[in-house]
Amino acid sequence: MTSANAAGIAALQAALAAEHAAVYGYGVVGAMTTGASETLARADWLAHQEARDNLEQMLLKLGATPVAASPAYQLPFTVTGQAAAIRLAAVLEDGVTQAYLGLVAVAEQTLRSFGAQAMQAPANRAVAWRGTTLAFPGMPTT
Amino acid sequence: MLSRRQLLAASPTTLPLILALSACKGPAVLSGPPPVSSQTQTLLHAVTAELNLIWIYSKTMAEYSGLGPTLAPLLAEHEAHLARLRARVIEPPGKKTPDTATARPAIGRTEQAALAQVKNAEQAAVAAQLGRLAGASPSLAQLYASIATSEATHVTVLASRIGQGQAAGS
Repeated sequence: MTSANAAGIAALQAALAAEHAAVYGYGVVGAMTTGASETLARADWLAHQEARDNLEQMLLKLGATPVAASPAYQLPFTVTGQAAAIRLAAVLEDGVTQAYLGLVAVAEQTLRSFGAQAMQAPANRAVAWRGTTLAFPGMPTT
Repeated sequence: MLSRRQLLAASPTTLPLILALSACKGPAVLSGPPPVSSQTQTLLHAVTAELNLIWIYSKTMAEYSGLGPTLAPLLAEHEAHLARLRARVIEPPGKKTPDTATARPAIGRTEQAALAQVKNAEQAAVAAQLGRLAGASPSLAQLYASIATSEATHVTVLASRIGQGQAAGS
């Protein structure tokens, strides 16, 4: 994948930033959940770490410096219990899905295809947390 | 050659006559419509594919009313997909946007078989949407990718429902 242009690298960096945020956010989700939800949070946390590492490798192969994680992130709402933690998990997955959709807009076909396929895992995880599907995952709601 | 003054002075009824008598060329009425671009062709195929999925869902729900609670929300999303795809079509001359399903397979003989059939149709739809990405404009590619992702979540929901049915039957 040596033909990726600046737009492709920027979209990969945005996806990586979303994965960093998800890894951080799942730390909160895991801390505020118990039982099956906690087990699911742990599995999803690991999945995001794997995706993050994969994106970092892709960027390094393209000669780019992968964007670093922030020391802390502003959560979209206060998480004080399991219900809010579950809601946060769905929001995190929506954010990652949206970031991968950004890759689909680039001209380079390999990245476009990668982005489209990479959307599926976070969208499915969002369904697991939310309990319902969406008509247009990753798209801004109108 | 007509002067600008002559053209402006001509009434709407005499203008075509003047143009016909002058050396001006009008549209070539006997030539066919311009060829449909591959991007439009792909979009029209996507519309037909959604119509086919909607047909399978509707028919399955009509035959197995117990599947309604599972299938109705997914069907509603397919109807949203169809509306969004249709909104992107600029109807080429001489070519209508499809409005009927082209594939009407027999529905499975049991509830479980019918569910599996819907799941397989969704799986095939995901692959077809991903195949439409090449050559699509960025915004259309994003629409195809988002619909493919939605359909992939449908596959998961349907697989889970099939698993529940198998567990209940065993």
